[in-house]
Amino acid sequence: MAEGKKPRSLATQAAAKIAKFVRGNMSATLKAKEEGKKVAYAYINDGQDEIMRAMDIVPAWGESFAGVCAAKRDAEKYLQKAEADNFSRSLCTYATCTIGFDMWREELGGQTPPDAPWGGMARPDMIIGSAQQLCDPRFKWPQATQHYLQDVPVFVGNMYYPPWDPNRNHHEQEAIYVKYAKAELLELVRFCEKHTGKKMDWDRLAGLVDLTEKTWNLFIDTYELRKAIPTPMDTGDAMNTMVPITFNLATQDAYDYYKDLNDELILKNEKKQGVIENEKYRLLWGAGLPSWFALGDFQYFNDKGAVFPAEVTYRNAEKIERLDLPATNDPLERIAWRWVRFWTHWYDKARKRPGSSPKVERIIEYIEDYKCDGVVFHSAFSCRSWHAGIIHQAEILRKVYGDIPILIMEGDIVDISSYNEVDTHNRIDAFIETVDAYKRKGN
Amino acid sequence: MERYYAGIDIGSTMTKAVIVGETIVASVIGPTGPEHRKLADKVMEKALNQAGLRFEDVTYIVSTGYGRVNVPFADRQVTEITCHAKGLHSLLPTVKTIIDIGGQDSKGIKIDGGKVTSFVMNDKCAAGTGRFLEVIAETLGVPLEKLGEVSLSAESPAAISNTCTVFAEHEVINKLSTGEKITNLVAGVHDAVATRVYALVKKLNVEPDIAITGGGAKNVGLVKALEGKFGCALLVPPEPLITGALGAALVGKERYEHALGSGQTLTRSGQGLQEARLFS
Repeated sequence: MAEGKKPRSLATQAAAKIAKFVRGNMSATLKAKEEGKKVAYAYINDGQDEIMRAMDIVPAWGESFAGVCAAKRDAEKYLQKAEADNFSRSLCTYATCTIGFDMWREELGGQTPPDAPWGGMARPDMIIGSAQQLCDPRFKWPQATQHYLQDVPVFVGNMYYPPWDPNRNHHEQEAIYVKYAKAELLELVRFCEKHTGKKMDWDRLAGLVDLTEKTWNLFIDTYELRKAIPTPMDTGDAMNTMVPITFNLATQDAYDYYKDLNDELILKNEKKQGVIENEKYRLLWGAGLPSWFALGDFQYFNDKGAVFPAEVTYRNAEKIERLDLPATNDPLERIAWRWVRFWTHWYDKARKRPGSSPKVERIIEYIEDYKCDGVVFHSAFSCRSWHAGIIHQAEILRKVYGDIPILIMEGDIVDISSYNEVDTHNRIDAFIETVDAYKRKGN
Repeated sequence: MERYYAGIDIGSTMTKAVIVGETIVASVIGPTGPEHRKLADKVMEKALNQAGLRFEDVTYIVSTGYGRVNVPFADRQVTEITCHAKGLHSLLPTVKTIIDIGGQDSKGIKIDGGKVTSFVMNDKCAAGTGRFLEVIAETLGVPLEKLGEVSLSAESPAAISNTCTVFAEHEVINKLSTGEKITNLVAGVHDAVATRVYALVKKLNVEPDIAITGGGAKNVGLVKALEGKFGCALLVPPEPLITGALGAALVGKERYEHALGSGQTLTRSGQGLQEARLFS
């Protein structure tokens, strides 16, 4: 049975629309099956959105489903299912939650397990995995899923980007990585063609790449409106408003959503309408996925006079002009360049600050642009990609930027057993006192 | 006229009260146990008696510790992180890193001139806390207050590999049944706690001087084990249990004087001495 949870109040009307958006994405997979369309298990930020959309493949996002289960505090039954089959509790809980769901559905002969949050996800016709762009568990997650869905074909593409090395000019290597990424994307096109029986419409793909770039630009323009003091929207809302850019990229719906959000934030800024009435502390969400079952903690920060005008997490877009992409008419090459440059475009700036790193440089940029007084990291134990580097990032930040209050919260994305509300709030209280002391002493 | 400020620290197993004027004029450590937690007013009363003061003589009261929000007569609540830093800095100004080992949690706090710069807490697992030692003391039939002393006579500390308190207790019983000496087991348990605390506190950029507070600081075996991990001597304040309450009193003093300096006056809550709320 789901445990009780506190509702989170949202600052923007746009954020309040997101539940319908997410639910729509999940039900689209079930509807697709009824209509004979192909459904693919898909993974975020992998550069494959435009290809899937151009081939009319309906994505079923495991990361979204697991997030919904967590937010409804109803994931434990799937985590236990996976654990019973020897998946470690410390593996990515997005993965183990959805694998547990898959296991259960297979036991039921393909029927959706009872009481699946928001109706669950459809059984996929294919699994389109991608690794390395964002996190390494996604190498093995699709393969582990196939262990239970043995008739479902799997494609795992690799979209690498040059590793950070302060002593090496990564621009010399970028073209090689782009060439590799493009080849992987072409392989994906062939895979999709084989399993849909359709040929890629390259003009349509190019149009969707245009739409994605427009959406990236609009998304950043919109989020930059949050620089205003008081900020009209904080991370509590952004953990909702990230849905279209993350799960609906290359759709008109995503673009339209950010147009509405943009209009709303402009209006709020004109009225000087902030997230809270008396904005005392501005914080940056420096890294880490949130505990989806505890989004009310953002409210707790707000109650203490703190807002988050910016976050690194889910800001997975950049102004296209800033990426300085080489001109090309090849849509696959455009996708490849955009994603490679998305990860590398902080490298040059980081190289100019001895001892810094791209991730830290990004944090510094947001601290300065959004006038933040402190940084909060969330160390979600099962999300190894973020969890492992957080302390290092915090140390480098202090070393190269200077003394700034930092809070490292601990929990998980899905596994509620990692979370203690009283102690979390105690840490937040102590952190706010620290930020207040810094501000009073003028540090 | 001298002003007096009180700090009251409701921890998980102890309640502490300190009153300061120009110096510490009273400090009381209350009894342990759940039935006593709500009696913060009695601890405060004892502190007032010790100082020869009436409740009305106290200018400002700050509560801290996990039960801080339940003290009706406190004028302000401040976390134990801030209060430990403030209190310890007043006693040992050269300290830059504090290790606090309490009954139910452990913490590491980095400070700079009494100001907290960062902190870490273990609040999810009994290993690395006083509770771990309590459980093992009970299992071995050694009085808690003697545990540290017993560990010092170990020939070779036993390896305790379980980090879970329940399973570590089981492991200790198993080793006991195979003939392992109690002294070695106790030393091994201290080593296990020290290892957990070291791993926690190392997340901070630890700088000397390092001090230890809380009930753990009263255990010579644990202090020695931690000194081995950190590779330096740990400073122990004269009464390591009161640093939080002392810090709370000093925070109150600072706040009040700062307000006066700004032409304002902080007013008292208007509440008299009453039982702490919500503990029954």
